[in-house]
Amino acid sequence: MSAAISALATIVDTTALWETVVAAVVAGIGVSAIFSVAIFAAARFGELGREGRSAPALAYGALAVVSGVAFLSAIAGGLWLMATD
Amino acid sequence: MSEADLILVIVVATALTFDFTNGFHDTANVVATSISTRAMAPRIAVGYAAILNFVGAFISLEVAATVASDVVEAGAVTPTVVFAGLVGAISWNLITWYFGLPSSSSHALIGGVVGAAFAAAGAGAVLGEGVLGKILIPAIIAPVVAFVVGGIGIVICYRVVGGQRPGPVTRGFRLGQIVSGGLLALAHGTNDAQKTMGIIALALIANGSLAQGADPPFWVVVSAATAIALGTYMGGWRIIKTMGTRIIKMDTAQGFTAQGAGAAVILSSTHFGFPLSTTHVISGGVMGAGAGKRLSAVRWGVAGDIFTAWLLTLPMAAGIGAAAYGFVSIFGSGAVGPLIVSVIGVALTVMAFVRRFRQVTPEVART
Repeated sequence: MSAAISALATIVDTTALWETVVAAVVAGIGVSAIFSVAIFAAARFGELGREGRSAPALAYGALAVVSGVAFLSAIAGGLWLMATD
Repeated sequence: MSEADLILVIVVATALTFDFTNGFHDTANVVATSISTRAMAPRIAVGYAAILNFVGAFISLEVAATVASDVVEAGAVTPTVVFAGLVGAISWNLITWYFGLPSSSSHALIGGVVGAAFAAAGAGAVLGEGVLGKILIPAIIAPVVAFVVGGIGIVICYRVVGGQRPGPVTRGFRLGQIVSGGLLALAHGTNDAQKTMGIIALALIANGSLAQGADPPFWVVVSAATAIALGTYMGGWRIIKTMGTRIIKMDTAQGFTAQGAGAAVILSSTHFGFPLSTTHVISGGVMGAGAGKRLSAVRWGVAGDIFTAWLLTLPMAAGIGAAAYGFVSIFGSGAVGPLIVSVIGVALTVMAFVRRFRQVTPEVART
């Protein structure tokens, strides 16, 4: 069994494969998580704004903007890396 | 025009036809999620996907390099071998389309070329290490990774937005789907169009028109991008007609996560030059996003069909590719064989389409 695995390891570029898996997991889950935070913050911003609580609403608004920018930046960065590296 | 150039023209035309059918075949995978969650109107979703398919083809050339140099020995193949491989791939695609099997165009392409090269020059023409390390192993891993990313992603999404009112959350994820759907179309364009670029490059190398290891010429990139984008655009209209019966219902968060998982896996694999089945990866993402909400929400029977098609595609396309090479060889090494096979192929394709649409049209009319 271990001989078969080591034989496979010599054929397969395990480093590239591992990097692919890590990049996909980090990008896929990370981007979903960041965007969820943006939606959560935007929803709270709207809710607190309607209740007239402007200070916490503003904080959630800022969080929504920062998360939204982080979401778009992560995507743009990934595509830029693909196109240039 | 010399006979060799005529064969090359036939090969390029066949490769672009394959690329067109690939886009046609895969439109549903790319746009179905956005349409079913109403993130985008069908017309806009299809046009948007077609444009981003086109753009995606220009992002990278890593996959094209893998197809051109790591699957078969470029020095041992001829343009006729590449032609026979394409015939194997297109035939298998049409057979599975006719019977409604969820097969991978990418695996059919690799299988067809491997089978034709094997028939033409023996086992030495097939780069076993490349096929195993760059095609088969990633083909197993990628849908699993997409499943895991989709599953974990949706759990995180629900945890984060769980206590909020559904209205703003739905609208937010619908907005996010415009980005994730676009990324998925971009990813599909970059991985799938490059396979055709790699195949045309292989034919150019075999014909002595391109140095081994060189990037595909710009006209190859543009024509492959155009063919897949046109295929996506044309394929979409059929999907729009029948989408009500085909698309699985999911919420916007699931749609966003599934598309994000598919795009992340395809784009990272493309960066490292792994030619994937985009169909299988997107299916993995969709199933993961479904399973993350409720295990029973996933149609596991569909997963079984995909697995069966996965097992069959490579050997069947290889067998047809080998048989096509054998048939073409009967007419010698000139252009007569490819011309006869092309004419027969077009006639059979038209017959299959007419027959299939005659069967489908009454069902659509009733729905």
